[in-house]
Amino acid sequence: MAVETREHEEHAVQGPPPRGGRRYLTGAGWLRAAWLAPLAFGLATLLVIGARAALGYSPLWELPVLIAAWTVLVPVAFLAGIGGFDYWAYWISGRPSRPEDHSGHGAHTWKDYFRVNTDHKVIGVQYVVTTIFFFVAAGLMAMFMRAELARPGMQFVDTNTFNGLFSVHASLMIFLFIIPAFAGLGNYVIPLMIGAPDMAFPRLNALSFWLLPIAGFMMLSSYLVPDGGAFSAGWTNYAPLSVVQPDGNLFFQMGVQWAGASSIMTALNFLVTIITMRAPGMSFWRMPLLVWANFATSTLVVIATPFVAGSQFFILFDRVLHTNFFDPAQGGDVIAYQHIFWFYSHPAVYIMMLPGFGIASEVISVFARKPIFGYRLMALSLMAILILGFSVWAHHMFVSGMASWLRIPMMLTTLVIAVPTGIKVFSWLATLWEGRLHFTTPMLFASGFVSMFVIGGLSGIYLGSVPIDIHASDTYFVVAHIHYVLFGGSLFTIFAGIYYWFPKMTGRMYDERLGKVHFWMTFVGFNVTFFPMHWVGLQGMPRRVADYAPEFGTWNLVISIASFALGASTLVFLYNMIVSWRRGLPAPGNPWRALTLEWQVSSPPPIFNFDSIPQVVGSPYEYGVRGARHAVMDGRPVETGRAPEPAEAIHSS
Amino acid sequence: MRKRSIIQMTLVGLAVGAVLAVVALFIPWLPDQGAEQARIVDNVYWFVTIICVAVFAVVAGVSVYAVWKFRAPPGDMDDGSPIHGHTGLEIVWTVIPVILVTAIAVYSSVALAQAEDIPDDHMVVEVSARQFAWTFTYPGVQLEGGRPLTSGELVVPLDEPIEFRITSEDVIHSFWVPEWRMKQDAVQGITTRTVVQPTKLGTFPVVCTELCGLGHATMRSQARVLDEAGYRRWIEEQRRLAAEGASVQGEPLFVANCGSCHTLAEAGTQGQTGPDLDTVLPGQDAESVLQSIVEPNAEISEGFQPDVMPQNYGEMFSEQQLEGLVEYLLEAAGGGE
Repeated sequence: MAVETREHEEHAVQGPPPRGGRRYLTGAGWLRAAWLAPLAFGLATLLVIGARAALGYSPLWELPVLIAAWTVLVPVAFLAGIGGFDYWAYWISGRPSRPEDHSGHGAHTWKDYFRVNTDHKVIGVQYVVTTIFFFVAAGLMAMFMRAELARPGMQFVDTNTFNGLFSVHASLMIFLFIIPAFAGLGNYVIPLMIGAPDMAFPRLNALSFWLLPIAGFMMLSSYLVPDGGAFSAGWTNYAPLSVVQPDGNLFFQMGVQWAGASSIMTALNFLVTIITMRAPGMSFWRMPLLVWANFATSTLVVIATPFVAGSQFFILFDRVLHTNFFDPAQGGDVIAYQHIFWFYSHPAVYIMMLPGFGIASEVISVFARKPIFGYRLMALSLMAILILGFSVWAHHMFVSGMASWLRIPMMLTTLVIAVPTGIKVFSWLATLWEGRLHFTTPMLFASGFVSMFVIGGLSGIYLGSVPIDIHASDTYFVVAHIHYVLFGGSLFTIFAGIYYWFPKMTGRMYDERLGKVHFWMTFVGFNVTFFPMHWVGLQGMPRRVADYAPEFGTWNLVISIASFALGASTLVFLYNMIVSWRRGLPAPGNPWRALTLEWQVSSPPPIFNFDSIPQVVGSPYEYGVRGARHAVMDGRPVETGRAPEPAEAIHSS
Repeated sequence: MRKRSIIQMTLVGLAVGAVLAVVALFIPWLPDQGAEQARIVDNVYWFVTIICVAVFAVVAGVSVYAVWKFRAPPGDMDDGSPIHGHTGLEIVWTVIPVILVTAIAVYSSVALAQAEDIPDDHMVVEVSARQFAWTFTYPGVQLEGGRPLTSGELVVPLDEPIEFRITSEDVIHSFWVPEWRMKQDAVQGITTRTVVQPTKLGTFPVVCTELCGLGHATMRSQARVLDEAGYRRWIEEQRRLAAEGASVQGEPLFVANCGSCHTLAEAGTQGQTGPDLDTVLPGQDAESVLQSIVEPNAEISEGFQPDVMPQNYGEMFSEQQLEGLVEYLLEAAGGGE
């Protein structure tokens, strides 16, 4: 699976400094992590037991406190071990810090993907591959759930396992797949799109990636907790249920902290990169919409994510320190949790959607061979969603018992968000108008996204209306709605993005025929799985149940069978990705005849992206405009419409 | 050319709209209307559905037409028309959605006010939720000794506007009768309320819709709507049962408090969160049955976890009630053979 980065003579790559035997144990790497992490585990254990002994608490072995200590110290030690803090540690301690010689850039063998690497392109690939791993894990959990739900009554798992399955499924899909998959694609593409050599803070970038597998394995390892297993209060982890749950719940609270920290760091990095590192001539109004989308998303992440971190810390404190944030008997307030949680988790829906809007805009414009319709309004509607997104959180709480007056204003803002979203949908449709549509796999997924997202958006109107929501909330109607938004919306655009940039990232073409098989299996499987859930929910089936009334048996069987077909489609995707990465046809620099800057360099790009800094002179979407240019590179204008490297064989639709 | 394409596109849109209208009208999307509130909510639902079918028909019409007409032939290297935007169109598709969502918001607000409207002089039922059972208290119905009537099943009179005052003893639950369309969370520490005026006789499920732990899926009860005379008869029956003393109370007590988690053929319950009592009860004496109720962690059946069953039945039930429950269980276990 090795990807060789094309090297350039002027940036000869230096190997890491030679090391002796002892240096091997103390030098940054997996070996150092392998002894530092257990050391931290022991240290944390001693610390807790020692402190409890000194203070006279009993019992000494108190699992919740130990888990809290382990989940803080072990990851820190692991990060220190693989070298996540080396440069800063040297600098702080006054030792000579190795000046950045960029020797860590690029990946020469597959092993380089398992090291702390500061190259945004390597990090982008690390992100995407890691998130796909968690996508597959969470998808398997969905398969187990559908097996149990195929018939009414209990068949394969008990209710505790089932509650764990849907909780971990949702947590992994949200925190370890959708959010970071977009961060990964953005990581790879944004610096290239704006004509920058790397991200603004490459070391921070590396660190934010390595927090992710920590969060993911933390959530997965909750299955190993004795007595109770995985956290099972749903990904929403409502108090007070989450406070009285078995200890597995702590792994969710801490996992969210690590994933959230990763998100915030990446978002800061994106913001600084986008604001300060655009190539000369790239004004905000010349930025591709993907960059706009990530600008809006990163702003959301930076403002909102601390709230989810706070909500989980409150639960942790209630459990471990015996505070009473959510215990009404001691003056706590149960509903406060939901306000704090949704103040993040509603904007999180846009964190999971706006980058997808960006990808859809790129793909649709390129494969329709047309300028994006209403570019400025497209960018402005992203910003409108960003602002409105903070004013709608309580629509998740219409039946929660919150202040009842709050329902009407929250309904109004919720419905108004349909307006900028509608502008985007209509503009994508108008972009298709009189275009020359090439239905390659990315285009299929992007147009599939538009149609499925419209259904998810319209069911959102139902849920936004208070009287209908009172009936439909917490039923399968909501399950259908979020999957139309997050699967039909986010996942379709992630697939579109992965296929679209696969040639750029790997230097090879994917198999177009398999890509189309994947799309149609996904599209049909998805609709047969999730559309009937609307009916099942309105009829009276609540969500998050392992067992249900027998009258829903037939439709649940249909849903389960379709979901297995949907699961099987992922195998086609994985096969295509793995085989094409190893043996696909070599990709030209610009197989899609696109205008944005990432396609004007080789595939994969040179180590520092651009041999000379591009000069941006116009809009990125001037397809069909005679004489218009997006940029001048090496004194050579990037022409519209004409392909520098025609590649007819690739889109033989 | 332009005119023809608009006609074709309109036809596609109308075809999609017609298919959607059939799907919307001929599939029974909503359960029966069992309350005045259901009628109000369903009207909002149909109002939103008409708007959504129209919007989706427009979107589908344009996309199907575009895919059909603008597909590039294989090997095509040309670009599309360089259209950058159209201010008029953009204003149209901003203003029309603004009007539509405003209409939905106004109509929803009015409907909400109607649904929650209740005359000052109305019946009250207190709903108390706990893992994993419902208790309904009728503060207007006093039993002997001044205790209000409580029941594990909800029985209400037809056409009477009822205010439900809802609370929880532990985690969050949610009170929902699909046929009534009204739903309200039960939250520890506060009392929430909802209003229902049943308009249909019959028995409907009471469903917990907020994840409340291992027994969430089985946290069910039923709502029986009776006519005025039937309701009065039910109340008299309850009074009589209460006056008759312990042993008769065993069964309703079991169904209301234990049945959602435990299977017992005699009582007709099918809960699966806790052990199947038809298997574990036979052979036990009164003492061990009592211990299993008030001290559930003392002995855990194989394959089950401690701390799932509430620990407070000893305090919740009177001694008399416990006695009745134990007596009933022993009878039920013996009677099964």
